[in-house]
Amino acid sequence: MHKKKILAFTTLAATLVTGAASVQAATLDDVKARGTLSCGVSTGLAGFSEKDANGNWSGLDVDVCRAVAAAVLGDADAVQYKPLTAKERFTALVSGEIDMLSRNTTWTHTRDTSLGINFAGTNYYDGASFMVMKNLGVKSATELDGANACIQAGTSTELAIADYFRQHGMSYKAVTFDTSDQTRQGFESGRCDFLTSDGSQLAALRVGLSNPSDAMILPEVISKEPLGPVVRQGDDQWFNIVKWSLNAMIEAEEQGVTSANADDKRENGNPANKRLLGTEGELGTNLGLNADWAYNIVKQVGNYGESFERNVGMDSPLELERGLNASWKDGGLMYAQPMR
Amino acid sequence: MREFQPVPARPAPVKTVGPVAWARANLFSSIPNSMMTLFVMALFVYFIPPIVDWAFLSANWTGTTEDACVRDGACWVFVKAWSYQFFYGTYPEEEVWRINLMLGLLVLVIAASFTLPKHIRLKASVAAWLLLPLVGIAVLDGRLLGLNQVTTDLWGGFTLNVFMAAASIIVAFPFSFLWALGRRSEMPFIRSVSIIFIEFFRGVPVLSLFFMGSVMLPLFFAEGTNVDKLIRVWIVLIFFMSGYMAEVFRGGFQAVPSGQYEAADSIGLSYWQKILLIILPQVIKVSMPNILATFVMLFKNTTFLLIIGIPEVVQTLQTALSNSYWLGGHALEGYLFVFLVFWSSCFSMSLLARRIERQMNTDKRG
Repeated sequence: MHKKKILAFTTLAATLVTGAASVQAATLDDVKARGTLSCGVSTGLAGFSEKDANGNWSGLDVDVCRAVAAAVLGDADAVQYKPLTAKERFTALVSGEIDMLSRNTTWTHTRDTSLGINFAGTNYYDGASFMVMKNLGVKSATELDGANACIQAGTSTELAIADYFRQHGMSYKAVTFDTSDQTRQGFESGRCDFLTSDGSQLAALRVGLSNPSDAMILPEVISKEPLGPVVRQGDDQWFNIVKWSLNAMIEAEEQGVTSANADDKRENGNPANKRLLGTEGELGTNLGLNADWAYNIVKQVGNYGESFERNVGMDSPLELERGLNASWKDGGLMYAQPMR
Repeated sequence: MREFQPVPARPAPVKTVGPVAWARANLFSSIPNSMMTLFVMALFVYFIPPIVDWAFLSANWTGTTEDACVRDGACWVFVKAWSYQFFYGTYPEEEVWRINLMLGLLVLVIAASFTLPKHIRLKASVAAWLLLPLVGIAVLDGRLLGLNQVTTDLWGGFTLNVFMAAASIIVAFPFSFLWALGRRSEMPFIRSVSIIFIEFFRGVPVLSLFFMGSVMLPLFFAEGTNVDKLIRVWIVLIFFMSGYMAEVFRGGFQAVPSGQYEAADSIGLSYWQKILLIILPQVIKVSMPNILATFVMLFKNTTFLLIIGIPEVVQTLQTALSNSYWLGGHALEGYLFVFLVFWSSCFSMSLLARRIERQMNTDKRG
């Protein structure tokens, strides 16, 4: 009797586990069954994933979540945001707590090859840079020899700046702070001549100054920080969906398709527009999605350029230049593989 | 016959009563004391006016966006605009009555456990306490009751701190009682298991326990099984709390005179009758101050949940601070607000604790 019970229990547990494992493989079916996309975002990063006072999420990283939800479910709002700290993000992804991660995560060799994850593209090319007060009269980072640097402790920028100054035979004195708020206050009160951090962070810090127009960001970018969405290894279909959802945003900008003209381009556009928006070709079917997947993305979220300007660009408080994140046609690095 | 007329008492000399005498006795009793007094007064004069000016006189009170903060003082608009999230997280506004209902129930159960008639008080309040977390989950989640489901990722704010602390201590209560009994047991296996459990959860910082709950625990689950993050953390909190409370109870057990145990044995009560009817009521009475102190500690510890991204009140504050439309540095206002909220709740809890102690102090020994 007792043995039978144990046997029954083990079989039950085994079926549960194997059943769960087979569900795991097809994230797409999972998401469709649930009706929402579970997307890991940052707990709060200006311009990338931020919550407003009404609890709505927005940002460049959040828009990637919204794009995938629009492509898969037809509704960009069908997203469950899971705010994650930097330490738990990969565990949450690998353990299946979230379907995808879009949390200003730098694409590096080590992460891509050793963590059981795949980077599905780059949605922002970031890099460490310098901010100075305009009245210092400095136009380039090479003029900063002997200056005091405000740095936030424990960030990768600390290493990047050490390398950069040694490489150029210059010296600097580090003034280290604990939080970004303190770093900004230190810079503002004149404890140091320049402040260094990732470019997108510098923009946010600059907005927080009591007089933002007094400060400027120098043109040099001294490290490579390509940020992008991440998925689990072992589900190639889902990997493709996330990769091409991001590509569709970039391609739409290249083709000049916006949320405003998507309806028109869908009917009267050139063949490339029609292929992208699903009136011609089999692009959606190949991904296991509806034909209007990319149309939903562009219509509901916008193309990459629109998303950029709205969240971090000139229409936002951060006022970041497109820079490296311009389309390749405008001299940037944003380049989508051809949609055909 | 002449009646004796006492002479009315003369007032005490001015030098020994009244504010002047008080100041002389307490503030200016010696030269070092006088210097100290003057120094502290100077500090007050130097620091208080700017603080008052910043916090009240030139503070910004009206408006809804950061642009409304034009004056030099504190930007209370920030706290005002985010106050809903600070209290309720992202919980949908039309469902927020559920949170308020649960807060009301919590207060009601606390009140009931001290005011119900004596003969039903114990049974009724124990049942109410143990049901409360289950009712809470059912109401806040809503699926079981046929309400709209509110998923746990939307729970947050200060009420989440309150609920996490309350739900953990309630569930930890019976467990910790058992651990304490186990530690006093004469059976070696039970005793050593209890000791290992208690000492592990008391010896490990709660932060590392949270990390284990959020980062390591999911890796041990079978692939595809997902236990909600909030529930994982809840379990961790229950373990942590029951470890601490077990030690509180052990102290209580030791405080009960051995004559009580022997008397119960001699009238032929069974082990559980002895523990539940004779010992436990006395244990709870002597442990009450420590139980409440442990609860206040746990309540404050719930802010550590920010380290694993649970949107409790401090995490919500940090999220608010990183919103690109509120980047002007409102950290001070925000943290002051959190400080006030926590201080007022902890202070009222300790007032309540003192009342309870007085009420329970029925014997005349102490």
